[in-house]
Formats: sequence, C-alpha cells, structure tokens
Amino acid sequence: MSAKTTTSILYLDGVSVSFDGFRAINNLSLVLEPGEMRAIIGPNGAGKTTMMDIITGKTRPDEGEVFFDGRVDLTKHDESEIAMLGIGRKFQKPTVFESHTVEDNLVLALAGPRKAIPALFHRQTKAERERIDEILQTIRLTARRDELAAALSHGQKQWLEIGMLLAQDPKLLLVDEPVAGMTDAETEETARLLREIAQTRSVIVVEHDMQFVRELDVKVTCLHEGTVLAEGSLDQVSGDSRVIEVYLGR
Amino acid sequence: MPVLRIFRLIFILIAVMAGPARADDAALRTMLNGLANADGFAAIEKIVGDIAATGDPKAERALGALSSGDLYVRKADKTVLIGKSKTGGYVLSDPLTGDVAGEAKRSEVEKIKVNNTLRRVVREALGGLTLASVDPRARLNAAETIFKSGDPHAIPTLDAAIARETDPAVKERLMEARASATLKAQAPVAETTAALETIAGRGDREALSLLKSYEAGAQGELKDAAGAAIAKIEQTLALWAAGQNVWYGISLGSVLLLAAVGLAITFGVMGVINMAHGEMVMIGAYTTFVVQDLIRQYSPDLFDWSLPIALPLAFLVSAGVGLIIERGIIRFLYGRPLETLLATWGVSLVLQQTVRSLFGPTNREVGNPSWMSGAFQLGELTITWNRLWIVVFALIVFALLLYVLNRTALGLQMRAVTQNRRMASSMGIRTPWIDAMTFALGSGIAGIAGVALSQIDNVSPDLGQGYIIDSFMVVVFGGVGNLWGTLVGAFTLGVLNKFLEPYAGAVLGKIAVLILIILFIQKRPRGLFALKGRAVEA
Amino acid sequence: MITRFLAGGLERRINILLAILVAAAVLVPVLHLAVPASSPLHMPTYVVALVGKYLTYALLALALDLVWGFCGILSLGHAAFFALGGYAMGMYLMRQIGARSVYGNPDLPDFMVFLNWKELPWFWHGFDHFWFAMLMVMAVPGLLAFVFGWFAFRSRITGVYLSIITQALTYALMLAFFRNNMGFGGNNGLTDFKDILGFNIQADATRSALFAASALALALGVLVTSALVRSKYGKLLIAARDAESRMRFLGYRPENIKLFAFTLSAVMAGIAGALYVPQVGIINPGEFAPANSIEVVVWTAVGGRGTIIGPIIGALLVNGGKSWFTGALPELWLFALGALFIATTLFLPKGIVGAWEEWWKQRRERDGRAPMMSARNPIESPAE
Repeated sequence: MSAKTTTSILYLDGVSVSFDGFRAINNLSLVLEPGEMRAIIGPNGAGKTTMMDIITGKTRPDEGEVFFDGRVDLTKHDESEIAMLGIGRKFQKPTVFESHTVEDNLVLALAGPRKAIPALFHRQTKAERERIDEILQTIRLTARRDELAAALSHGQKQWLEIGMLLAQDPKLLLVDEPVAGMTDAETEETARLLREIAQTRSVIVVEHDMQFVRELDVKVTCLHEGTVLAEGSLDQVSGDSRVIEVYLGR
Repeated sequence: MPVLRIFRLIFILIAVMAGPARADDAALRTMLNGLANADGFAAIEKIVGDIAATGDPKAERALGALSSGDLYVRKADKTVLIGKSKTGGYVLSDPLTGDVAGEAKRSEVEKIKVNNTLRRVVREALGGLTLASVDPRARLNAAETIFKSGDPHAIPTLDAAIARETDPAVKERLMEARASATLKAQAPVAETTAALETIAGRGDREALSLLKSYEAGAQGELKDAAGAAIAKIEQTLALWAAGQNVWYGISLGSVLLLAAVGLAITFGVMGVINMAHGEMVMIGAYTTFVVQDLIRQYSPDLFDWSLPIALPLAFLVSAGVGLIIERGIIRFLYGRPLETLLATWGVSLVLQQTVRSLFGPTNREVGNPSWMSGAFQLGELTITWNRLWIVVFALIVFALLLYVLNRTALGLQMRAVTQNRRMASSMGIRTPWIDAMTFALGSGIAGIAGVALSQIDNVSPDLGQGYIIDSFMVVVFGGVGNLWGTLVGAFTLGVLNKFLEPYAGAVLGKIAVLILIILFIQKRPRGLFALKGRAVEA
Repeated sequence: MITRFLAGGLERRINILLAILVAAAVLVPVLHLAVPASSPLHMPTYVVALVGKYLTYALLALALDLVWGFCGILSLGHAAFFALGGYAMGMYLMRQIGARSVYGNPDLPDFMVFLNWKELPWFWHGFDHFWFAMLMVMAVPGLLAFVFGWFAFRSRITGVYLSIITQALTYALMLAFFRNNMGFGGNNGLTDFKDILGFNIQADATRSALFAASALALALGVLVTSALVRSKYGKLLIAARDAESRMRFLGYRPENIKLFAFTLSAVMAGIAGALYVPQVGIINPGEFAPANSIEVVVWTAVGGRGTIIGPIIGALLVNGGKSWFTGALPELWLFALGALFIATTLFLPKGIVGAWEEWWKQRRERDGRAPMMSARNPIESPAE
C-alpha cells in the first residue's frame, strides 16, 4: 500500500477482472481525492459500469487493490457494507422503488440503522422530516411527494434516485449516466445539482454527453478496453490523439 | 432289512466289477430293477447313488424319469419301466433305450415315489452323468451342479472328465467342481488349500456361500485359509456390486435425462417453468398405450414394432398439445415467470383430469416388445434389456437434440434467443415463433420420453407428477441454458441416488439428494454449467 | 410499543374485517350451542367444522400472501409449515389419548405399539404438555423457515429457482413423513384423537371453541400483518420485492428483510395447521403434498395478492367452491381448479380485490374527483 492511499478517498491500483476469458477491466488504476468530482468517459464496453460494480462490491476483482477513505479494503466487503461505509450509487437505468411514494423512497434511503426488526417500530422524527423536505426541494419534487414513483417521468426518476443518494448521506457518490433521456433544460439543471453536491462530497460521474461533461467542468478520465487511456481536463483529453482514434476510428 | 443289505452288497460288487466309469447295459438294468424292491426313500437314494457312480450317460433317461415321477414298476415281472399316462392306463417304454415296451392298465403298475430330497439326489446324479455328454453346455451345467452339491463321490468321475476335457472354459468349471468336492471329502491340507484358492478364484456368490459353509465347519489353518478366500471373494463381489449400482444409476440417470432435457430447453430458452411438462411425458406414454391397443386389435404381428410406431406419434401429439398451450396461454405471460408457473400448473391439472376421464384412473397395461423383455448377465451384473435400450435411447435423443441446437437454423435462432432476446429480435429473428417452436420441441421430446417410460413405469394419469420435481432438480443442478449440464446433472443425480440408497434406503436417499442439491445451489446458484458474465446478471 | 405498532395497521377496511371475525367468533358458538336445533337460525355441527377449517386455510393464505404478495417470494412449500404445525398439535392430541387407545398402552401411541417400539422416541417427549406443544407449533415451522431461508436468501436465490426449491423441500418432507420409522405414524398419520385440554374433541362446545379460536387467530393474523406492512419494515418488504439491488446499494440487507417475513409467515402457517388438525381430526403426510402448497397459491391469487383481505376472500371462495364441486360434480373439480389457475393468471392478475380496487379508482376518476393519492397496498406487478 503506497502513501497515496492514506490521503485519497478512492484508490484503485492494478485492478483486473475477466468474464469467461474476456477482460472487462485490465490493470486499471485510478485515484480520487476527497472533495473531488471526476467525469469518466469512454466508448461502450470500456468497462465503466464494471468499474462501478467493483467499487460497490457487486463484482470481485481477480487482482488489484481497491481502497476507500485511505484504509478500507473494498474487496473484502459486500454491497450493503460498502453502502454503509459511505458509497452511494446511481444506476444507469434509474432504479427507484416504483410502488412507493416519492417521499417513502427518500424515507427508506435516509441514513440510519438498516436492521429489519427496528424498522417494525420505527417512528419518523422531526429531524428526519426536515431532512426529507430539504431534499425534496433540492431535487424539485416537493409537489409530487405523495405520488407513486412509478408515475414520475424518466428525468424525475433520475433526480429521485440522486435524491435518495443524498438522503443516504454518502462520502462518495457514483453516478452512472445521470442525464440519459433528459431534456436540455433538465441536463443543465442536473449539472448544477451535481456541482452543488460535489461541494461537500466526492463524486464520480460516468457520462456520454460531452456537453454535460463540459458543463461539469472537472477533471476527465477516458477509459478504453478496461484501462485508463487519458486523464486531464476535457480539452486535454479530447485533444489526445489516442482518444480521438478510439472514438472516431482510424 | 437284511434282504436290502444283501442287494446293496451285490450292487456294489457289480459296480466295482464294472469299473468306475463304464458299466454295461445289463449291470445298469439290474440296478434299475433293484428299484422295484427298494423299500423307502433311503433305499432308492442308495441305488441312485450307485447308478450315478457308474457315470454311464445311458442312465440319464431313467433318472430323469425318476425325478419327474414317470418311473413305474410292472407288478407282473417286477421290471422298472417309464410310463406315460394315457386314458385308462400307461404307455410303457424302456428306461435305457426309450423303446416302447407295451401298455399297462392303471392297476398293473406301481409308481416309484420320490420326495424332494430324492429329487435333489437324482439331480446331482444326473449332473455326474452329463459330465460325459458330448454337448459342452451340458457338461458345463453338470460341472455347475456338482459344484453346488460338492458330492465327494463325484471326484473320480470328475478326474476322468477333467482328463478328457478339451474346452478350457468347461475345464475350469470342472476344476472348480472338483475343488468343491474336495472340500467335502476331508482331503489333506495342501489339497484343500489349493481347492480353496480355486474356489476363491471363481469369485461369485455361489463360491462365497460354499466357502462360508465350509468355514463354519473348518478349524485351524484351513479355517484361516477359507477366511482369506472369503475376504477375497467379498472384495470382488463388492466391486461388482458397485458396478451394479453404477448401472442402476446410469439407468435412472437416463430416465431423468429423458424427462429433463425437454424441460431444459424450454426453461433455458424461454425462462419458462412448465409445470405441465410431466403431463407431456404422460401423454406420450398414453399414446404408446393407444398404439399398442390398436395393434393388438388389428394386427398383433406388428407388436414388436409398436414402439417405433409410437415414437413419432407421441412426439407429434405432445408437441401439438405443447403448441396449443404456448399459443393459448404462455405467450400472454412472458416476462412473468411466476404466473407462467401457476398457469401451467393449472394446465397440468386439466390434462391429468382429461386423461383420467378418457382412460380411467387406474394403470393401463403397456407391454414390452420381445426385444425389450428379459435380462442378460454380464459377469455378476444383471442387465435388463428394457433398461439398456432406454439408456441407448436417451443418448440418441440427446445427440439428436445437440444436432438440432448446434447444426440447424432453428437451433441457431434458439441459442440466439437464449442469450439475448432483445438483440435476437432486432436481428430479425421472429422470437414469438422461436418460442412456439421451442415449446413444441421441448414438449415433443417429453412425449417420446413418455414412450420410453411406459416400458418401465406404470402408465397412469399421475405418471408425470412423479418426474416433475426430479427433472427440475436436474435442470437446476446442471445449469440453465446448457444441454451438457443437463446430461451431467442427470447422470450425476442418478448415480448419486443409487449409491445413497443401500446406505440410507430409497426414501432417505432421495431426501439426501434433495438436501445436497439445496446446499449445492448455495455454492453455485446458477448450476454446474452456468452462463457467466454481465449479461446474465441483468 | 407493541400496541402502538398494532394500532398502526388500522384502516377502515381492516377494521370491518376484524369486526366481522370477532363477531363470528362470538355469534357462531351462540347459534350453534344456544339456538335449538329446530330453529332455522341453528348452525349445524358440520357447518361449524367446515367454516372453522376454512378459517385456518384463510390464515395459511394470509401467511403466504405476506411473503408472496408483499415480498415477491413465491413459496411453493407453505403447506409444509402448515403440516408441521399440524403434526405438533397432532402429537399433543395423541398423548392425550393415553390408555384409551386400541392397544391400551398408556405410554405409547397405537402405531408405535404396532411397530413393536418399546419406548417413546426422544422427540415425542414434552408433547403431553399443551404449552410445550403450542411452543413447538410455532418453533418448528419457524426454525425450519429460518434455516432454509437463511441459506436460500443469502445465496440470492430468487424467482422460479426459489419456488422450485421450496417445492422440493415440502416434497422431501412428504417422503420423510411417509416412512413408518420416522415415528410420526407413517401413511396413516395421527388420528383417533379423544380430547383437547380435557374436553371431548367431538363435543359441540369444543367445536365451537375451536371455531372461535380460529376466527380470533385469523383476526390476530390480520392485525399483525396489516400493522407490519404499514410500518417502515413493510415498506422495506415491498422495496425488496421491487428493486432488491437498489436496497442493497442503500446499505440494507434484503436477505434479512425477507428472512424475517419468511419466518413469521411460517409461524403463522404453523398456527393455522395446529388449529386445523383438531377440527378435521387427522393429520397425515398427504398434507405435505406439493399440490396442496400450490393450491394455497391459487387462493391467494384469486383473492388478490398484496392485499390483506384478498387471500382471506380467496381462501373462503375457492374452498367453498371446492366443497360444493366435490359434492355435486366431483369429476369436474380438477377441471375447475385448473381453469381457475389459468383464468386468474391470464385475466385477473391482481385478483378479485385488485380488480375491484381498480374499478373503484376508475369510477372515482370518471366522477371527476381527485385521484387516490394513497399508495397503500401497492400491487404493481413486481420486478422479477
């Protein structure tokens, strides 16, 4: 373990994983500082989602180190433990509890004990109610708090899911394609929302939409075939000849 | 009974004079006629023993008649003759040559009575006599008879037979028979030890029981030698028993394979749990019944062909029913596997009740054609023809299915749909049609499985129910979407079941297998040969 | 805390249901015992026994609904928990026979005397005490469900796989209980009961009391279940049904959420079985048959899964239908049951209650009233 791990919020070194002989992630290394927001780009099949699976404990890497918050070895924990450590994840396809109301979705996501039996006798506290009101405002769903999540539009579901991440109060957010299926206005709004969130937390955003990435205005990492191809500002990365080759072909 | 004693003396003298191996007809005739004066079973037994000692094959006819109760004494001249009953009396014939010797009224002759002990003695005597037969099989049987009785008196006869024997297989049997006789003859230690080894080399159950009874009466060194021989045989037998279990396991595995392979396709391709799969098997079995019934009525000569005729019909009937179920019910339930499970359970109830109404609730008789009846012996293994044919048949069906899946356009499309339904659909594959065809194929295969199962199981409306859970276990164990998994799964579970049975009994063995599978799914939730990768997770 | 928890489940429909059940628990014994047989209001013995049996079925269906309707676990083995509860009660009733059995052995039940057993097997000890038997009625199914569920949910077995292994479980138990040397009476099971808590089991008063106990047990089951699904835990249950991975990434352990519901459900099924056995007078291995478990599923589906009253309505309707059919047109019953399975899944996926709710909602919307805001009892088709 190098000295770097003690200060970074997320540290991946030499991570590889393969499915049936296909190397989805190949010797991937990535370091994220506390409070940093990072955009990850890359063509389809570059290993973006698999990387998130590894960080959140859904997939075990074949080799390599994954450390969180300087000292926690993420390869030794499963999904729920990693979530409780303070890593939140938004899926590519918005995943919310569709048969619950918007408010109940947030209630379930609120930080707090996760055991089954105490949930039987749980009563909402004033602090919890206020926190939910606050999040509803942030994600602009106050008016629809009593509606079923299933009734929301695609973009609103994306926001609700981000809201659930906020309620979970994580140190690190992994956000997979947050603006897919959003209108331009919604996209702009989402970029603003993420920048706001990034003031207090570390964020990794995976996105295809270059306009959106530009709006985020953060350091960019380009993945290709499971490994880091280029890293730097968006202009640097998009000027890189190998990146151009990967995206446009020779 | 001094008279008897004198007679016996005379006979022995004659026998000795005539030599151990040969006696002329006259001597034999005298001995036979002695039966007319024999008083009681013991006396008859003595005479039989004397006749046997001559080793003359000509006595065969007379002894055979004696054991079947066809030997009579003509009261007029006290001669012994063979009698065949006819109305009002008997046709008599010569006991040695078989020439007709006139007729007699019922009152003119007296039957020579035999009891079971005597019959056995006669059988043994015959065994000694047939040692001299020209037919090697008869000699083999004779050697076997002596081996079982171990009559020490037969040793000289055996020695002679061994000396002139040319067939090595028969010779081996004769040596074993001699060894068996040696054990009973209180022979010297060295000779007995050699005999024990010979018998141990035979390694079957008869040898074992022989040695065991010898061991019980033996002492010291010989007892130990017998014990060692027994241990050796038991080891060989244990190996054979294991082999027999493997065979039973393979046989059960082939049945499971037949029942499960259709299910594996529908489950693999469509993700559909078809609870009516067992009823497709049942329909195939009833198709066989109908075919045999028609053949019995209209053309009994064709009976041996009933199964080849039933196979395509059963396939078509079951596939047709499957197609109706898919088009009528299942296609409305795609993406809702649990509802499909319930609806197909409903279908299975309806099908069972339909068959019950049509054919009655009791078992229907489905016969085995001659080429599927009986059994043969392979070493210590007993293999029945119907089981053997079913194993062969299951493998053929499996191979055909592999061919269909891997070499035909339909198979390619089915595999495409298994891996990625949406992609296949956008490539222009008509997924609904593939689903219908897959379901029909899976059902049709269940139908032909029914033809095979009708040969070993009761054909009743509940036939399918007995297989459904086992088939699912095979598919779950083997892994979905992989036919080889089903093959390995079926045979593994079959053999495992049969190996657990002797220790745990049939029911507990089955329970143990179920528990093992439940534990196994813990380790590998997607079965033995699972598809891996991200696509599966989605 | 408990009272507040239970009160949390009260709403109008549940209140009405509870009122009906309590009223039945009081009225039926009165109509049966106090009203003379000549009166048209008199309730004959066979009706009391029949409806009492249906009530235990309803409790079983409610137990299944808790895991299937609210948590998406389609158990095809719930009859096993019902039967285990029944066997525990049956063992108590066997011990009550004492020396009045055919062989007259005061220490051993008849079937053990018949098998030439010399002493009571260890697992029969304690069943002479009612309290112990009642403890086992809940503990045995609960423990089995806990162990089984712990293995199954931990390895993330879901959907049809889970259904199939639950079916295998009840099948294995059926085979086991058919064995004579298991010590549960083999084929014949346990029967020829004489009395319960000292009262003659055939007596009208005992029957009435058992009926009342069944109605009250069902009422309690309704109260607990509705309070449960309304609590935060209930929301987690539905969340685990619809988006298990989302829950996991929020830090919950869906396997624990499911395990609690599965175990509780098995305990409820066990109690239902324990009330069933004295009313029908026999328990045998046939109760473990996989077909029985699936029948419970269809009661629940017909009534409407994911609702509290649905499974109860379903159990009463289907079993009422079964009694009528098997009396009037016995050979058609399986056709009817099969058709019911098919028709429910094809045309009535949300069951009677679900369809009625939908119709009601549409009517309200047509009438121009505000759409129902409440997300209570959501029965969206679960993601499987």
